[in-house]
Amino acid sequence: MILLDNHNVVIEETLTQPIVNNNPTAFDVKVVDFDGVSCHLSTLESNSVIRFSLSMLCYKELVQWGAQDMLQREYGPYCVSDTEEGYDFTLEFNLQNLPKDKEQREELVNKLAMIKRDLLAQPFERAFEQQAKFEDEKQTNPHSELMQIHYRDQEAFYIQAQLDRVTVIFSTLFKEDTDKIFGKVFLQEFVDARRRPNIQNAPQVLYSSKEPPLEIRHLSELQKTNKNEEIGYVTFVLFPRHFTRGDVREKTISQIQLFRDYLHYHIKCSKAYMHSRMRARVQAFLKVLNRAKPELPNVEKKTITGKTIVRT
Amino acid sequence: MRLPPVIMDNGTGYTKLGFAGNSEPSFVFPTVIATRDSANTGASGTSVPSKASHLSGNIASKRGIEDLDFYIGNEALSNSKTYGLHYPIRHGQIDNWDQMERFWEQSIFKYLRCEPEDHYFLLTEPPLNAPENREQTAEIMFESFNIQGLYIAVQAVLALAASWTSKKVSDKVLTGTVIDSGDGVTHVIPVAEGYVIGSSIKHIPIAGRDITYYVQQLLRDRGETSIPPEDSLKVAESIKERFSYVCSDIVKEFKKSDKEADTFFQKYQGIHSVTGQPYEVDVGFERFLGPEIFFNPEIASSDFLTPLPNVVDNVIQSCPIDVRRGLYNNIVLSGGSTMFKGFDKRLHRDMKRAVDARVKRSEELSGGTMKAKEIDVKVISHKKQRYAVWYGGSLLGSTPVFNSYCHTKAEYEEHGPSICRHNRVFGSMG
Repeated sequence: MILLDNHNVVIEETLTQPIVNNNPTAFDVKVVDFDGVSCHLSTLESNSVIRFSLSMLCYKELVQWGAQDMLQREYGPYCVSDTEEGYDFTLEFNLQNLPKDKEQREELVNKLAMIKRDLLAQPFERAFEQQAKFEDEKQTNPHSELMQIHYRDQEAFYIQAQLDRVTVIFSTLFKEDTDKIFGKVFLQEFVDARRRPNIQNAPQVLYSSKEPPLEIRHLSELQKTNKNEEIGYVTFVLFPRHFTRGDVREKTISQIQLFRDYLHYHIKCSKAYMHSRMRARVQAFLKVLNRAKPELPNVEKKTITGKTIVRT
Repeated sequence: MRLPPVIMDNGTGYTKLGFAGNSEPSFVFPTVIATRDSANTGASGTSVPSKASHLSGNIASKRGIEDLDFYIGNEALSNSKTYGLHYPIRHGQIDNWDQMERFWEQSIFKYLRCEPEDHYFLLTEPPLNAPENREQTAEIMFESFNIQGLYIAVQAVLALAASWTSKKVSDKVLTGTVIDSGDGVTHVIPVAEGYVIGSSIKHIPIAGRDITYYVQQLLRDRGETSIPPEDSLKVAESIKERFSYVCSDIVKEFKKSDKEADTFFQKYQGIHSVTGQPYEVDVGFERFLGPEIFFNPEIASSDFLTPLPNVVDNVIQSCPIDVRRGLYNNIVLSGGSTMFKGFDKRLHRDMKRAVDARVKRSEELSGGTMKAKEIDVKVISHKKQRYAVWYGGSLLGSTPVFNSYCHTKAEYEEHGPSICRHNRVFGSMG
């Protein structure tokens, strides 16, 4: 497994029975996804109403960039105003009022499994729209704001549409020293890998540690933590060819927003790989050590008649 | 908002994964990993990973990603044609650490979808696990995955904790006898105040798989010809799961079933896996004969002949005398093969009989001068029995004090992996 999936398997499996197969059962499940997203799926008093609540750290920021509209658009009839305590929004599905068509119900479950991706996709969509306006000469250039999404406690990503490109900047923080080194190698690798001929079309990746890139240097929160040496910045430069409408755009969004998890996943995989090499090496050394045992020098040896020979 | 701890119960057969606070594990799949190198013999098969040739030139173009090319769980089984299957856990203990590390890697990132740095983890271990294994586990968890905190709990203790959901349990104690019967082996484990009494543990070579074989044999002996031979084990298994129960007395049950033949005999409907033709199988006495091998092992095997109630009684008798009452008072069932209807009642009756007979005998021997206080035998069966160990973990993991019982990353860095040699027991909880 090189890439991480975008959909949440637990949500999909939990909801398939009641929604797709229309088989109401009582359940109460809490699900966690990357970057502090937690969902609560439960049935209300009667098993035919399913409640889906979600909380994520950056929900308030995402609302600014159109998350609420997305929810209204996609889940309009299911949105309820009384949000479950401790969560950011709540959807309610009444099993009696679901689409009649089974395929539509399947689609609904698949969409719910991807809900985190769809929410985080909003700022990307917005930036791509703005960029399209820059391209279109007939329209006036929009004011493109720098969108900040603090999706983790100390890490954030920033998106800005510019004249001919969209810039996505991730700030990364490694808690562990080993991770820091691995991370550095990895990020350097991202920059280097682009030199290879077969991925010339990949988005440009820039990496800088300590010093935030120019686009976000003016932010006050960064000026405060400027001295923090542990933070690195990864910049992706997306050109219009990376977000042509349709599958390409969707894929770009899906993969970029999992960038941090992808990075950490691979750091962990490399550590596991190193560990297995270390174990193999230890085994090899042990073998050598065992072979190097001296033979016992003064062994008593007997002749067939029972006499003892002592070597001198 | 605190994210829930991750509960991982890696068993020999199945791995149960999920988050604390849920009543069922989110994932249950076989503990198996499929890798590219051919499945060779276990111990010597620690294949040395090939050295990455990164010594010169561009790293990216030369480094392989063979170490990422593997599947776990059900996906591994379905890819068994092109990959080699490995079972990293043997007899409850981790056998191959390389494979286990990778198994965890994918369990966490692909299935649970969580960043291990944000979570506390609760893992399980079999009783009498070597402290070295615990250290290794801690090393992997803290060094590779940077988890926040770790608690390694003994499976039997978690099963005891899971029984707190039962209405029969009035006070939440960690003293009791756990009967854990899965697919391969049945264990009888006495636990006193959260500590396992290692010297008294007994294993019984009768478990779910043996019942299935026995049912299969019964069906074959009776000449159920409609069962396609290649499905025969699967049919036996689902007959066991769907129709079986434990009776109070075989002879009476035979008579009763003859009298009420029309309700007793049932039909199993199956579909031929190759031709797609439906077929029917009559289900008869194997309904109660299957689970009966726990209580009368001689009907199925000739090498193990002690009935389960006697084994449990012997185990408790071999424990220190001051905990015996507590052990009799709290016999907890765990695992899929204890789910048969009436299992708890039968076990209770047989044990009570044996205990009462012994008490009476000792009273007689004392010449009538001593009067013993009656021993209370209680067998506790509850709804979460099938995944009792996982559920117990989920229960403990969702308590507010859980984090304070964990070994944290800071402690690990201060003292090294040896801190995990001992785990604080959830003693005075609840």
